[in-house]
Amino acid sequence: MMKRQIFTAAKAAGAAGFLTLAAVLPSPVLAQQGNRDSVTLCQTLEPPILDPTGGAAAAIREITYDNIFETLIAFDSAGRTQPRLAASISSSDDGMVHTIKLRTGVTFHDGTPLTSADVKFSFERAMAPDSKNSQKWIFAPIGSIEMPDASTVVITLKSFAGDFIEGLAWADASIFSAKSADKAGTEPIGTGPYQFVRWNRGDRVILKRNDAYWGAKPAIANAIVRFIADPQAQVAALMAGDCDAHTNIGAPEAVAQLRANANLRVTIGRTEGETIVAMNNSKAPFNDPRVRQAISMAIDRAQVNEGAMSGFGTLIGTHFSPNHAAYLDLTGAVKFDPAAARKLLAEAGFPNGFSASLRLPPPSYAQRSGEVVAAMLAQIGIRVSIEPVQWAQWLERVYRQRDYDMTIVAHVEPLDINIYSREGYYFGYASDVLKDAIARTKSARTAEARNAAFQDAQRRISADHVNVYLFMLPKITVQKAGLKGMWANWPVPANPLGQLSWE
Amino acid sequence: MIGRALRHPSFVVGLLITLLVIGTGLLSLFWTPYDPGVMRIMNRLRPPSELNWLGTDQFGRDVFSMLMVGARNALLVGIVAVGIGVTIGVTLGMIAAHGEGSLLDEAIMRACDFTFAFPAVLTAILILTFLGPGVVNAIIAIGIFNIPVFARVARGAALQVMARDFIRAARAAGRTGFSIILRHILPNIAGLIIVQASVQFALAILAEAGLSYLGIGTQPPNPSWGRMLNDAQTFLAQAPLLAIFPGLAIAFSVLGFNLLGDGLRDLLDPKTKER
Repeated sequence: MMKRQIFTAAKAAGAAGFLTLAAVLPSPVLAQQGNRDSVTLCQTLEPPILDPTGGAAAAIREITYDNIFETLIAFDSAGRTQPRLAASISSSDDGMVHTIKLRTGVTFHDGTPLTSADVKFSFERAMAPDSKNSQKWIFAPIGSIEMPDASTVVITLKSFAGDFIEGLAWADASIFSAKSADKAGTEPIGTGPYQFVRWNRGDRVILKRNDAYWGAKPAIANAIVRFIADPQAQVAALMAGDCDAHTNIGAPEAVAQLRANANLRVTIGRTEGETIVAMNNSKAPFNDPRVRQAISMAIDRAQVNEGAMSGFGTLIGTHFSPNHAAYLDLTGAVKFDPAAARKLLAEAGFPNGFSASLRLPPPSYAQRSGEVVAAMLAQIGIRVSIEPVQWAQWLERVYRQRDYDMTIVAHVEPLDINIYSREGYYFGYASDVLKDAIARTKSARTAEARNAAFQDAQRRISADHVNVYLFMLPKITVQKAGLKGMWANWPVPANPLGQLSWE
Repeated sequence: MIGRALRHPSFVVGLLITLLVIGTGLLSLFWTPYDPGVMRIMNRLRPPSELNWLGTDQFGRDVFSMLMVGARNALLVGIVAVGIGVTIGVTLGMIAAHGEGSLLDEAIMRACDFTFAFPAVLTAILILTFLGPGVVNAIIAIGIFNIPVFARVARGAALQVMARDFIRAARAAGRTGFSIILRHILPNIAGLIIVQASVQFALAILAEAGLSYLGIGTQPPNPSWGRMLNDAQTFLAQAPLLAIFPGLAIAFSVLGFNLLGDGLRDLLDPKTKER
């Protein structure tokens, strides 16, 4: 009985292996260019919900940003802000009062017209104590929101924040209607160029063009966003023509193979994803800066980038994107030196190393980097046990409960160095010097002063060895040759469908 | 006996393969061409050469060395998981046989039926979800499903032996239940248990490979054939050989243990002896 059952399972695994193999073989009949009126975009992760103000997952933003929901101003593909629902924003000389004129004739997908009350509602919803918004700092400086008329919003700040206006471009500041906001997690209703049709859990989200859209009419009427997590399955789906584009594949080693395919186009771009080995700074032995420094010195980041990302990542030495003007090149601040790392560990009281766990979320960048990092730490006597966890577990145990030793994750939000100043953040790091630097990035009145404050913050976290800074996650976009308008870089995780068209 | 064994083809082939796997596992304790944990990333995905006999994996580790240590891992899982099954299962089987028809016998056998009712690999996945992934938990999960197999075999065989005259003679001579089991029943059913163990051993290796393939068995950096297979799947287009070698290792050793089991069954079974 036992024998039969095990063999059945083994046969099933064998059959699955065969299917994968069959799918990888180049098909002689090329997938037809397909319906020019529709596009199938594939992304790696499925979002837990579809409300960008209800969770931190980048997958939510990938689907909703500038597609279903809109913000007052929005980031373009180069990371510059462009007007969206706001026709104009004028600020007082002291930067404390911002008057926002809304576009007229904008309606939500359910026909409700957009008014200044929706902006007030959305921001107050985000600021509420029970709000799950993951970027509450955007709204923290707000003192009052007034509505002189239906298309004007006046926001008065209680404390100056140099990044207040830019914060309004984040998906976390999306505008909702009071009528439909409660159901935004599963039936999102926004003002964007595409409206939600259906969500087949585990498989896809289906969108259609919003014909009442206020702006330029999108070229493509129907859009499907599919979720394919397995790197090899992503490549197979692209080769078979099941995906018109994949937003960022997890199989960098397949780039050469995909490039050789005349029907596909591969672009290697950048994300804002600082990929880090995060350490629980509040827990022994990671509360000792010498231990963290030793770990940092034992990891050859160029090799990790090569082994996990085929070298497509951009090395960093701090939690900051090289895309930004305030970036400070600290890649040389920690030199790869296992012998010195051993010595440092011994000084810290661990001449024979110690055991620690490395909790890894599912994406391949984390799994692969984790395996390389574990092998490197073994060289200085740190015995790392790798524990794979699902995203839900990661968010609950690592992120919320701070129940971990080390983890590897990419922080994909732009300019997110301020997380180091947050109380109770999962790094368990606290530094008054850093908090002061972050406060100065907000209070700075000039770009120079702000950048200088950002650089102070970078120096501080680098000197404190809070985490090991590996590389910026690349964006490896693969698309059919005829598809135009895909973002090559990700200043924010977003795939605006309205900018896509078929050649 | 030995002469007859050497003329039994599946026994000889099975024994040779098994000895090769065991020998490789033991050798890996002292020597491998390279340290299987050390990554030489610049040398990744190399085809077989005189430096790396079976090539290198995606992190530049030597595949041959990993397979050697993987053999040790597979054997360890097999020995411990089957060991759990044999010790607990045979004990339970003896207890049940001794009190045949009693409430205890019923309870043990129904518990075995209950365990059998669940698909083994699926339940192992469930157990690993609760206990967390890892080789120790995989061994426990596989071991649990070996218990009822041995309990049933042991009980059935023990009942047959108990019905024979020499047991009655031993009883008449005043031997107690425990000493009868130890002196007379166990030696008489040992052959059957050994045959069953070699079959279960093959299944345990397969189950470990399956669980590791799914990512919930052996965790990196410890090499496991199943996980090597999973890793290789990602690189199928770039380095197809990476999937072939661990696949062959699994197939080869499972075949070896099964052939050995078949051979032992024929050799130890008195009925086939007469044929």
